[in-house]
Amino acid sequence: MHPDPGSARPSHNIAMWGAPGSGKTTLLASLSIALMRRRGPWKIIGADDPSAEFLEEKSLTLSRGEFPQATLDMESYRWVLVGEPKAPERRRGRLFGGPPKAAPAPRVGISLLDPPGGLYGDRGSVSATDQKELLDNLVQSRGIVFLFDPIREFDNGDAFDYLYRALVQLAKQILAGDDHGDGKLPHSLAVCITKFDDRRVLQTAERDGLLTVDPDDPHGFPRVEPEDAARLFHRLCEVSRSGNADLVVNALDQYFREDRIRFFVTSSIGFYLDPERNVFDARDFQNMVPNVTGNQQGLKAGASKFRIRGRVHPINVMEPMVWLGEQFYNSQPNNGTI
Amino acid sequence: MTVPREVPLPTALADATEKLDGTGRVVVVELGAGGITTYRLDRDDVGFLRCRGRNVPWPVLLGGRTSWDSGDAEGERAVLRAAGDLSGAVVFFVCPLPDGSPTDTAIAWLRKARPEARIYTADAVVVADLIRAAMANDPLRWPYDLVLLRAHPDGRLELTAEQLFPFGARRGKLVRRELRCEPSDAKGVAFAVVSWQDRDPVLVSIQAARVPAGRHELTAELRRPGLVRMSIRGVPELTEDERDWAELVSAVPLRLASPSGPMHLICAVETCGAPAKVEERLGRIRQMITTLSSELPDRLDVSLVAYGAHSYDARDPDPPIDVAAWTASPVRALESLRRLEDAGADARGYPDAARLEDMLAEVDRRLGSAATGRTALLTVGERPPHPPRVESEILPCPARHDWSQLLRRLENRPGMTLGAICDRPGERAGRAWSRLGGGAPAHLEAVDVRTLAARMGLRRPPDQLIPFPLTVD
Ligand SMILES: Nc1nc2c(ncn2[C@@H]2O[C@H](COP(=O)(O)OP(=O)(O)OP(=O)(O)O)[C@@H](O)[C@H]2O)c(=O)[nH]1
Ligand SMILES: [Mg+2]
Repeated sequence: MHPDPGSARPSHNIAMWGAPGSGKTTLLASLSIALMRRRGPWKIIGADDPSAEFLEEKSLTLSRGEFPQATLDMESYRWVLVGEPKAPERRRGRLFGGPPKAAPAPRVGISLLDPPGGLYGDRGSVSATDQKELLDNLVQSRGIVFLFDPIREFDNGDAFDYLYRALVQLAKQILAGDDHGDGKLPHSLAVCITKFDDRRVLQTAERDGLLTVDPDDPHGFPRVEPEDAARLFHRLCEVSRSGNADLVVNALDQYFREDRIRFFVTSSIGFYLDPERNVFDARDFQNMVPNVTGNQQGLKAGASKFRIRGRVHPINVMEPMVWLGEQFYNSQPNNGTI
Repeated sequence: MTVPREVPLPTALADATEKLDGTGRVVVVELGAGGITTYRLDRDDVGFLRCRGRNVPWPVLLGGRTSWDSGDAEGERAVLRAAGDLSGAVVFFVCPLPDGSPTDTAIAWLRKARPEARIYTADAVVVADLIRAAMANDPLRWPYDLVLLRAHPDGRLELTAEQLFPFGARRGKLVRRELRCEPSDAKGVAFAVVSWQDRDPVLVSIQAARVPAGRHELTAELRRPGLVRMSIRGVPELTEDERDWAELVSAVPLRLASPSGPMHLICAVETCGAPAKVEERLGRIRQMITTLSSELPDRLDVSLVAYGAHSYDARDPDPPIDVAAWTASPVRALESLRRLEDAGADARGYPDAARLEDMLAEVDRRLGSAATGRTALLTVGERPPHPPRVESEILPCPARHDWSQLLRRLENRPGMTLGAICDRPGERAGRAWSRLGGGAPAHLEAVDVRTLAARMGLRRPPDQLIPFPLTVD
């Protein structure tokens, strides 16, 4: 990474983690759309040109209805989350001088790694150096966004392997010489259940009575309350092929401090809305359209088998980043610019 | 000797037999040259008049003598025995003019036993002929019906009976009736006449003839109760059928596989997917239309409906379902088919399903709620329909059409037959295609259009034979 003399130089890495096709790149692409749509205290800006370009380009692609191509090389992006400036504050002993100065806006730098998902598995094709680089990045990062792909878990039941394999290696590297710690990793972990818009995910949540609707939401989208997200995660593990829900929970408990794990139920593309009615319709909400049938004729290698049907309405894609940013920010002794 | 003669014997006898009910009897005791002959008439349980006769010659009665005195108790008993049981019967005595022979003594004894009985002197009448005439002239106590099959619009066959002769009809009554015959086996078509006892049919007669398939006029004449003579112009005489009722009835197929009357063939074709497949599908439809139009000249209407894939793209809204022809002549339909062949396959749109449900909605809408005649829907394609709401990976139909419900409506439509040709073989064709195929769709690669047409009841399978005549409505 290049040294950046700028004041907004991100000093904290957030590493993304997830099986191939779990939706990492799409999540990043939907981030800026989410930030544009949502009025909140945080903004996201690119810390360098390629990162700014990425935000713009990928979100445009997504708005056009296309999914990003599968990631082939490790990409890293550096962004800054900029919060709302704090209200002016009187300082003691300041008898002279001008009017009280506004406190600077909180800034959280994030350096995001978007690796090809293949790196996390034990694929023969993946080089040892790439795996090493990834692990180094995980070691250096303070926050991890783990994308748990329930669709993959439904179909293959191996989404958990991707978490576990890397966790073990990470723990080996960090905790090896650490005798006095509590035996837990120093990272904050945002577990993102992706593809909430998918029928099977939504129905699992529905069956468990985990769906609510925000009365202020003009679209009436179903949602899972943050405190229920962990339950949905457990349920999804239980109904999966491998059914190793216990393992997942144990692994997470084993390696992370309880207050440093949080679950998010996310969807990068969100639910389909009929452009005329513009409210969620439980009879017709699927927002993905297959491009081609199984044989994939006429598809470029790496291109998605799906396109997005209607407008993109990202769900909970920004919240994990903001939560991680806040974690870093709050852990700073003088939380101004980090 | 006074002989009451208000009415002549034939009239009195006919009057008495006609009034006979199920329990009464008419007894005619004839004292003639041949001895005493007794005719006992009553009705059987179907209302038929029947007659039993008994004759005792004079020598037997006289037991070797040549005459009786009126006080001969033994002779009186023998005469009364010969007359039989007269209680409760309407009794007629028929005798020659008095001439002093044993007849006079016998009649005196009989009159003593039944003083109210009418006595006729019958020089010129043959009592047996009178009774035969009375029986033949007896009016029908129950109507006589001809057994026919009614073909429902969907081909279902139902046994039914249509009246030939009403209650009260008498001999000589002639009726003509239009009917239709289907090909039959070597024993021919059975013309069964039934009468009714209360609600139950009672077989009167079954006659058969080899009748060529087609419309015919049957002439039926009531010769007497129990005997109907039937004839069909151009057909050799009808003869007694040796088959029994159960045998005949079990030979009736459930469905008539041959179209009666006009037929509306609706061909629906999926025009999305691989060009070669689309071409083949259209080719099958061409074959079907060509085959049927030659087999059902002037009786075939053809509709042609093409459907593709949903776009799920707001910039490219779905066009209406393409109704290339609706109740057109086969020639016109084949022209429209040419247009579809020229247009070829549409590669765009949703890849895993097709607008089958929109097609069904359009066909259902066009058929309307009024009854239509025989209609066949032949669907040719591959992909499943879209569900009406989220239910699988397949996106719901934007118009929320419910294929299953629409199909049920079509299935329940009187006169409707379903058939399908699917690119995928049976088991892999899926639920919707099984139903579209009326159980199982034919496989595109293997289908024999003639066999399929026969299975759908659009043409006759070569082996279907119908043992009864059919109604013409
Ligand atoms: N239903 C649904 N599917 C999604 C979503 N995001 C991504 N996908 C699907 O997942 C596929 C892979 O998404 P990517 O973002 O390329 O996944 P990735 O983790 O970056 O994959 P690699 O780069 O191969 O590691 C997409 O092509 C979509 O088909 C989502 O929010 N909802
Ligand atoms: Mg990627």
